[in-house]
Amino acid sequence: MTAPGASAGEASGDLGRVLAQRERKFAMSLLAPAFLALLATTTFPLMFLIWTSTYRMDLAMPFADGFIGLENYRILLADERFWSSLLVSLIYTGSTVTLQVTLGLALALLVMDMKRGQGWFRLIAILPVVLSPAVVGMIWRTFMLAPEFGVVDYLAINAGLGSKNWLGDPLLAMISVIVIHTWQWTPFAFMVLLASLASLPEDIYEAARLDRATAWQRFRRITLPLLRPAIVMVVIMRTMVALTAFAAIFTVTAGGPGTATEILNLYAYRKSFTELSIGYGSALAVALLIVTIVISGLLFALRRAK
Amino acid sequence: MSLFKPTRRAFLKAGTAATALVGLAPAVLRQAAAQEADLSPYKSAKIDWQQTSGETITVAVIPASYFDNLIAIAPQFKTLTGIDVRFEKIPPAQIRQKSVIDLTSKTGIYATHAADPMYYSLYAANKWVEPLDSYVSNKSLTDADWFKFDDIIPAWRNADSIDGKLYGVPYDGEVTIQVYRKDLYDAKGLKPADDLTTFVSNAAALNTPNDRVWGTALRGVAGAGQNMYIYPSIFREFGGQWFKGGKLTVNGPEAEAALAWYVELMHKSAPTAAANWNWPDIADAFSQGTLASYIDAHSSASVVNNPEKSKVIGKVAYARWPKGPSGKRVTSIWNWGFPINAALPEKKKKATWLFIQWAASAETQARTAHRFAGPTKRSGVNRTSIWRDPDYVKLMNGFGHNFVEATMESLQSDTDVDWRPRVPQWPAIGDTMATAIQSALSGQATVKAALDDAQRRVEPMMRG
Repeated sequence: MTAPGASAGEASGDLGRVLAQRERKFAMSLLAPAFLALLATTTFPLMFLIWTSTYRMDLAMPFADGFIGLENYRILLADERFWSSLLVSLIYTGSTVTLQVTLGLALALLVMDMKRGQGWFRLIAILPVVLSPAVVGMIWRTFMLAPEFGVVDYLAINAGLGSKNWLGDPLLAMISVIVIHTWQWTPFAFMVLLASLASLPEDIYEAARLDRATAWQRFRRITLPLLRPAIVMVVIMRTMVALTAFAAIFTVTAGGPGTATEILNLYAYRKSFTELSIGYGSALAVALLIVTIVISGLLFALRRAK
Repeated sequence: MSLFKPTRRAFLKAGTAATALVGLAPAVLRQAAAQEADLSPYKSAKIDWQQTSGETITVAVIPASYFDNLIAIAPQFKTLTGIDVRFEKIPPAQIRQKSVIDLTSKTGIYATHAADPMYYSLYAANKWVEPLDSYVSNKSLTDADWFKFDDIIPAWRNADSIDGKLYGVPYDGEVTIQVYRKDLYDAKGLKPADDLTTFVSNAAALNTPNDRVWGTALRGVAGAGQNMYIYPSIFREFGGQWFKGGKLTVNGPEAEAALAWYVELMHKSAPTAAANWNWPDIADAFSQGTLASYIDAHSSASVVNNPEKSKVIGKVAYARWPKGPSGKRVTSIWNWGFPINAALPEKKKKATWLFIQWAASAETQARTAHRFAGPTKRSGVNRTSIWRDPDYVKLMNGFGHNFVEATMESLQSDTDVDWRPRVPQWPAIGDTMATAIQSALSGQATVKAALDDAQRRVEPMMRG
């Protein structure tokens, strides 16, 4: 903040600067504890992770440990299971985010026109979101999807589809984990989109109706463009979460059967904590970090475009 | 308006009193139990039990009745030695990771923990745990005539030793055996299988899914301690050897035959859901009468004989593993043993050894098994002498026909130290194999492709 115009003297300008400086110092001292805590709990572990990824650190063979530079990354690029888990991650993320936004938007449009009971609907819809993903995973695995005993299988048998091994078949397992994630997080997209729908100006729709625009035209030409910022935001947030998802898949299939649902995150976890190859596991985690940053960056760029 | 308006003071008072009562009651009871317990069988050992009095050690165990019984009589150990023992219960899926993290960071949180025998190679390679031979032979720490180390089941002692050095003392163990429904077998005139082919035909004969009875089930869920707990027995019975010419080999004709046998059995005569089952699921299904047989740990007998849940009590019988094409029967050498954390100070190591000696002694084994006051008795005692004790045998035979014989014969003739590859890389190998077995079972890959892929992944793990 500087003193305005020539009416104020040199001295008052100095005073202003001193005051501003003091204020900055004060602000900084207020910020410092949180900033340091953040540094210690996020930045430092991240740096440590990157540093670890340049080492061979194998608890099973401690004698072979040592600095190996980018060797872990070279191995990673040639590792088939890395590429297949990355593919699984991308399929998982792409399909869950698409489903969440489509279903969330459809629900929001539907509920918007509900005259009564909207409050109740919102309350019930939000329930899956507040559950822990680990709990959701356990419920689906034991209560819903167990062959012969689960609710979903019971419905499938009664619908004439016969009993299916929902988590034991590679394709069905993948579909199952996608459905579970979509089931849990669609309400989030629904709530955000419902809120932005409610804030859209009514007069534009009125004008459109006077011009005899059809419902579909109103949706295509008015609702979607106006909702675009909200939709893009939901896509960005859900993508980041889906790419780094862990708990639900871990409890439902643990990446199985075989490696059919092994997302990159799970592979990094297994390498580090089950196989005890900490160095290579760190390299996988860094790769996941890079993928997440690149994809989020692209989405943010998309948001700014147009 | 409420009629009762508690003041802050009254609330605090009541709360404190309640806490004191709840907190003290078990302590008082335990104290009483400890004083009543006769410690003279322990005091006949010619060592000074009180030599590290005042030490505190933390012991990690899994939540299981055989450890609960030990925890229940632990106050006796405190009276005997003056050592405080804090128990921490960690589920089996996490106890390995937690102890590895503790050992690798050398924090010495767990003086000892219930250890997976497959991990001693890893522990020894990193010098994370103490070699125990010097503790066994140290006269001031161990009275050899009293402890009778050789009485501990040899298969389990060998399982806890690497290159002839002892790293853990077995506390409780198990062998895998056939468990079958005698009534169903008798109705069809079947005998428990003596070879793997008969096991398949028995299972097929009794597999009637329309009546909700399936022929059999083996562990299907992936994990070093799940499907990779059953498969190694089959692999060894088909003549497989983990080390061919010094090189770890997981594929080849024997492996393919073994895995194909497993996959076919699971597809033809087991419930579909068994692909995701671990042993508790199998034992539960069996106790509900939906399985005609299974092969798993003998300790699951307590589940299928649980009077509150089981519908098949009195109809259960047991037999050893069926023989494989190689003519061998191969059972597990699984046991939970106690090692000593090398990161501890000397005095704590001694205190930990006293605890291990106490827990593994014949007296404590008996007090936590047939002489335990509570409802659950142990079926995995570590002493040959107890397995011959008429009281114990009588109790164990309550589990069903041929239980003690099948278990004892398996322990004596069917154990094989090379049941699984005992190398420091086991955690990685076990996980890789578990994934391969499941890929083959789910049809994600053919038997041969799954094993060849596992071999490709295992090879770089073994390179130094």
